[in-house]
Amino acid sequence: MNIKQAAEIIISAINDTLGGKADVSEEMKLIGGESLLDSMKLVEVCLILEDSADEHGFEFDWTSEATMSKSRSMFRSVAALAEEFSNQSEA
Amino acid sequence: MIIVTGASRGLGQAITERLIEKGEDVLGLVRSVNDLGIDAIECDVSDYESVKNASRKVKRLKKPVKAFINAAGVASMNLAVTTNESTVQKLIQTNLVGTIYCCQLFAPIMLRQKYGSFINFSTIAVALALKGESVYAASKAGVESFTRTFAREMADFNVRANCIAPGPIRTDLLKGITDTQIEKITSQQVIPKQFQKSDVCDLVELLIDTKAASLSGQVLNVGGV
Repeated sequence: MNIKQAAEIIISAINDTLGGKADVSEEMKLIGGESLLDSMKLVEVCLILEDSADEHGFEFDWTSEATMSKSRSMFRSVAALAEEFSNQSEA
Repeated sequence: MIIVTGASRGLGQAITERLIEKGEDVLGLVRSVNDLGIDAIECDVSDYESVKNASRKVKRLKKPVKAFINAAGVASMNLAVTTNESTVQKLIQTNLVGTIYCCQLFAPIMLRQKYGSFINFSTIAVALALKGESVYAASKAGVESFTRTFAREMADFNVRANCIAPGPIRTDLLKGITDTQIEKITSQQVIPKQFQKSDVCDLVELLIDTKAASLSGQVLNVGGV
């Protein structure tokens, strides 16, 4: 799965979680004060991504030492998560 | 389905038998499935990959999980200064880390369902600060603390987590403890008597029941403290 496909899946997951009430871009932050997702919504997005990964034949590991790091977290932006999701699909 | 770790012996076995008797579909997570006589998956709770594999297998069953009971545990009655390093590691790794692994790796199943109940096991030795159980009690104090916070993290998804903290119950974990020693402990409880495995099974039934929907993040000390 390439990064563009991964980003589409993530944006769709966020839209589902937020009920389509937000304009989701690749720059959107997924953690921190500027994020539209609270921690529970983020978990919901991860559950959707886990299911999507299953459908694509890989396992999405959303645990990380740096989850809350604004500079290193895979959740620092939609683009960063797309890169991680894509990498895990190829591993 | 209800999942029970440590289902082959002690409290885990008693809980498994009670739940089966009550008509529940029980799946044991045990270190060795040989001749167990119940549905079971091999799992060493102290090993992350082993728990992860078990969670994958359970997920593939595509059955709702009503409750997850973390009954696997090890005990060591010993003074801190006479406990060797490997025993310290084993107590923390099995009792505390094993409980954390099981909760975090099985939680997604319940988060998706938007219901479920985790039941973890502590000991009355935590509240009573019993002499000769320092490392064991420390591992279980960690379980209590984890459970309280984990319960908050799960609450938005209608998933509950509680702890049962038994006093001295006659199981293999109490091998070598005399009746006098047991009485010394039970005399410190609000109800100063030795409770049985069946009393713990009653509490498990209560915590699984929807009648306990208002209980989460709690530690139920058997006999009271």
